Amino acid sequence: MNSNRAHDMKLIQNSVAMTVTLISFGMLFATLFLGYFLLRFNSPTWPPVEIQNMPQLIPFLSTLVMALSSVTYYLLEKNGPQRKLMWGLTFILGLAFLALQWSLWGALKSSGILVSNGMVPSIVYGFTWLHAAHIVLGLIALLWIGCLIFMKSPSLTSFKLMNVGKFWHFLGVVWLLMYLMIFVL
Amino acid sequence: MAFVEQHIHDAPTSFWSKYLFSFDHKVIGKQFLWYGIFFLMVGGLMAMMIRWTLAYPGVPFPLIGNLLFPHTGGVVPPDTYAMLFTMHGTIMIFFAITPILIGAFGNFCIPLMIGARDMIFPTLNMLSFWFSMASGVLLLASLCLPLGAAAGGWTSYPTLSTNLGQPGMGQTLWLLSLFLFGVSSTMGAVNYITTVITLRAPGMDYFKMPLTIWGIWLTSILNAIFVPVLGAGLLLLTFDRVFGTTFFLAGAAATSGRGDPVLFQHVFWIFGHPEVYILILPAWGIVSDLLSFFARKPAFGYKMTALSLTTITVLSTVVYGHHMYTTQMSPLLTQSFMTLTMLISIPSAIFFANWLGTLWKGSIRFHSPMLFSLGVVFVFGLGGLTGLYLASTSIDLYLHDTYFVVGHFHYTMAASVLLGGFAGTYFWMPKMFGRAMNETLAKWHFWLTMIPLNGIFTGMMVVGYAGMHRRLYNPFIYEFMNKLIPINQFITYSAIAMGLAQFVFLYNFFKTIFFSKNEPLASDNPWEVGTLEWQIPSPAPHYNFKEIPHVKCGPHEFGNPNLKTGRDFQYQTEELVEVK
Repeated sequence: MNSNRAHDMKLIQNSVAMTVTLISFGMLFATLFLGYFLLRFNSPTWPPVEIQNMPQLIPFLSTLVMALSSVTYYLLEKNGPQRKLMWGLTFILGLAFLALQWSLWGALKSSGILVSNGMVPSIVYGFTWLHAAHIVLGLIALLWIGCLIFMKSPSLTSFKLMNVGKFWHFLGVVWLLMYLMIFVL
Repeated sequence: MAFVEQHIHDAPTSFWSKYLFSFDHKVIGKQFLWYGIFFLMVGGLMAMMIRWTLAYPGVPFPLIGNLLFPHTGGVVPPDTYAMLFTMHGTIMIFFAITPILIGAFGNFCIPLMIGARDMIFPTLNMLSFWFSMASGVLLLASLCLPLGAAAGGWTSYPTLSTNLGQPGMGQTLWLLSLFLFGVSSTMGAVNYITTVITLRAPGMDYFKMPLTIWGIWLTSILNAIFVPVLGAGLLLLTFDRVFGTTFFLAGAAATSGRGDPVLFQHVFWIFGHPEVYILILPAWGIVSDLLSFFARKPAFGYKMTALSLTTITVLSTVVYGHHMYTTQMSPLLTQSFMTLTMLISIPSAIFFANWLGTLWKGSIRFHSPMLFSLGVVFVFGLGGLTGLYLASTSIDLYLHDTYFVVGHFHYTMAASVLLGGFAGTYFWMPKMFGRAMNETLAKWHFWLTMIPLNGIFTGMMVVGYAGMHRRLYNPFIYEFMNKLIPINQFITYSAIAMGLAQFVFLYNFFKTIFFSKNEPLASDNPWEVGTLEWQIPSPAPHYNFKEIPHVKCGPHEFGNPNLKTGRDFQYQTEELVEVK
């Protein structure tokens, strides 16, 4: 078997597995969105109870941070020499996203929006919790990639970079949708 | 043809790496088999208590009643009854059928039948088993809580499953346990799908795969897509219970703001209807293969069977609404769901006719796997036909939540899958453990299971049609139900008979594995079939194939008069002999 063919096969095998995995994760979030739409369109008014002081700046910032981290990860995949820098930026941006979510929950609480305050707070808290939990998974994957980069490990293949990247970009897209649904529309 | 280099690793030597934390798909398959059989016994015991209560309300459960329910003198108390039917359903569906059909046969058969040395991600495979182990432990632990385990039915609809309906930790543990189980299933599904796509031996086209693999592969696709849907529902319900969100709360349960309890039903059945096909597809696949193997004929309409299984897989995703006719859906929706549901009968009828076509004029060998497969043909025929009644909206409004439904889904999901699982166990036993089980006992096991089984589930349909509701502790406080006491007792006697018959299996199973060391090992190919796993020694050696086989013909080449080999079948590695 020549090495080109082996590479192709490895690529197929990796993308099949990651695609199936992302479909699974995607269905989890799709179910949340389905729930959101059913609740929203079955409700005579939206929001059912007027929400005062919904934080707007923090979620906007976290969307920016998430988008930036996708860009830096893209550069990490592309760029050989600046790998360490780009990895560091992605990881820090990921942590910053989590910190922003944390402060979002704090801001919600201080403006009197509690988990048990009804439908909209349930959605805001529940969805962001689930997304943040996946961000933690993503950060663990990033950490693993980082270890491989800094140890100059030969087992760091382009497939591993590609798969972690797919997961990270996927989380970015999910966050964008959540942001649009919860805070914009 | 996708082909990836597969290396032969050294066989593990220590007990831990060989039997507990094994990466070998065959060992993981056996682990799932033991796991499933254990939970089958737990779930079966619960079924006995349910049946006893329905036949003799207020009479202590014999033998162990006093031990289990000392406060009531051995009588099953009402709240425990609710817990029992909830846990019976949960255990049987998620912790018995799924591990046996998908975990055990999926793991064991996929690499052997497609000609691979192992699954593509062995570590993920091991993780999948240990996640399901953790989930099983959580579920069993919930039985020991002061307020008892979950008792809102296996569907755990809100408001029954919210803090209002279910105080205590039982329901929460149930949710977490099922979530972990879902993670395990999804891991398995990713592994199975990728393995079938990338590790098929050279020449093993999709349409040369045994139908067992088709069934398990389609199941895995459904699993990967729909188990996360349940996962989302479970997490939101957990949030409702633990953190005070209000996704599924309404009415008195919602102190501030309200959600929608019916939303959970949507989420549950978007997963739940594919789930019933997740359970039955592997059994269909196994039976489709075994019918051909033991009728000594090529599977009739092999391609059509594979394609109709695929069609059913696709259709199963768009029919979930037929579980919810009574939730005040718009008539437009109920009519659409009814039509879509009825559409499933077309591909079902196609492969069912193909089964009969396979049997037609075959020289049938009535070995135990064949008996069980024929059993599946019978019970699935009956179960499938009764499904048509329930698909029809107007009849379902009357039959909804009666024992007719219970009888129907036990025929399709429980009886068919159980018999299919036994067929597979008897069939692959020589390849799994090195020795075949005793045939005489196996045949006794079949008849002692088959006859009472029909007594139980037809009986359930009769009482259901007469109006007996499911999940009632004592239906006979309603006067019009009193005449149904004798038939309920008949169902219970049948259930006890069927339960006792399983000890024949257990005896046979344990004896073959642990107490037959002096008997010779089975030959490579005791059933004389041509799929890849029967060309290697029994039990299958570590890393399966010394040389990755090259596949040249389909899995069911039987009874070709032009064969010069003295056999009536062809191995899949042999060039196809033309029938002129």
